[in-house]
Amino acid sequence: MKKDLMEILACPVCKGDLQLEVIEEDKKEVITGTLKCTKCSQTYPIKDSIPNLLPPDLRN
Amino acid sequence: MKEDEIKKTVREGYARVAKQSNSCCATASPCCSGADLAQNISRAIGYSEEELESVPEGANLGLGCGNPVALASLKKGETVLDLGSGAGFDCFLAADRVGKKGKVIGVDMTPEMLEKARENAQRGNYENVEFRLGEIENLPVADNSVDTIISNCVINLSPDKNRVFKEAFRALKPGGRLMVSDIVLLKELPASIKNSVQAYVGCLAGASMKDNYLKTIKDAGFRKVKVLEETVFPIECMTNDPTALAIIKDSGLSLQNVKEAVDSVLSVKVSGVKP
Repeated sequence: MKKDLMEILACPVCKGDLQLEVIEEDKKEVITGTLKCTKCSQTYPIKDSIPNLLPPDLRN
Repeated sequence: MKEDEIKKTVREGYARVAKQSNSCCATASPCCSGADLAQNISRAIGYSEEELESVPEGANLGLGCGNPVALASLKKGETVLDLGSGAGFDCFLAADRVGKKGKVIGVDMTPEMLEKARENAQRGNYENVEFRLGEIENLPVADNSVDTIISNCVINLSPDKNRVFKEAFRALKPGGRLMVSDIVLLKELPASIKNSVQAYVGCLAGASMKDNYLKTIKDAGFRKVKVLEETVFPIECMTNDPTALAIIKDSGLSLQNVKEAVDSVLSVKVSGVKP
């Protein structure tokens, strides 16, 4: 996930802003990390550069 | 079928397609023989040779029902959102149109499809395309952030189409455009097809009546809702899956009834604007 696309993202549940926490990144993008909703506190994982923004009940 | 069940079935069905990719079936129908087939279907529904050749191999799975990009008249620098982006075909075409300053975001709920899309993006060196695992009924996108929403033969699969269009409306900027291709019906399908899980995955059983579909778009707030084009869709191409064809054959309907049902299935290209 590229950081400059953060501004378009929102929490799929409450549409709150998401805060990025990077665990692993390269020059181009975030490879592993989490996105946390600043409004409802739900967290969403970033794995293999793809943010998983499915609502929590659909994640598995 | 309950909503959850439908979503699960659709996800599993398309995960299977993503994994098989080039070998959906052998000779069951002229429309259904792998990569060549995907290209043939795509030509038939309005993609140009140039477009077909411009994307990485494997990005086009032949699962669409029209070419929304051709209609979307995308401009350089725009932000585009593709609902149900699959292996990324339309996203890559859109990426070329919006250029380096533009952005294309594909949302799909099937992890196997997203992996494929991401591999394709890397192979094609697309810098301005990003994919997110997400649901089109709960878009992970901020309000008023997108210039154009495209979607190609996907919304019919959603058990809550009202919500999909409301979400699309929310995500678009004022003046933003909706440009979708989808399957709709002119009359209700026979119950035996309507209740078939396979027919759901094959874009048939979940399709709405045309008038309802357009009303849903208007009710979501869109204005200038127009059908730009409509064609009777060849059923072999629509199902892209011998199982669904077998279901139809086994449905106990007479050939005449099956033909009538098929003739009531339309592929439409619809546009709308957020005021």
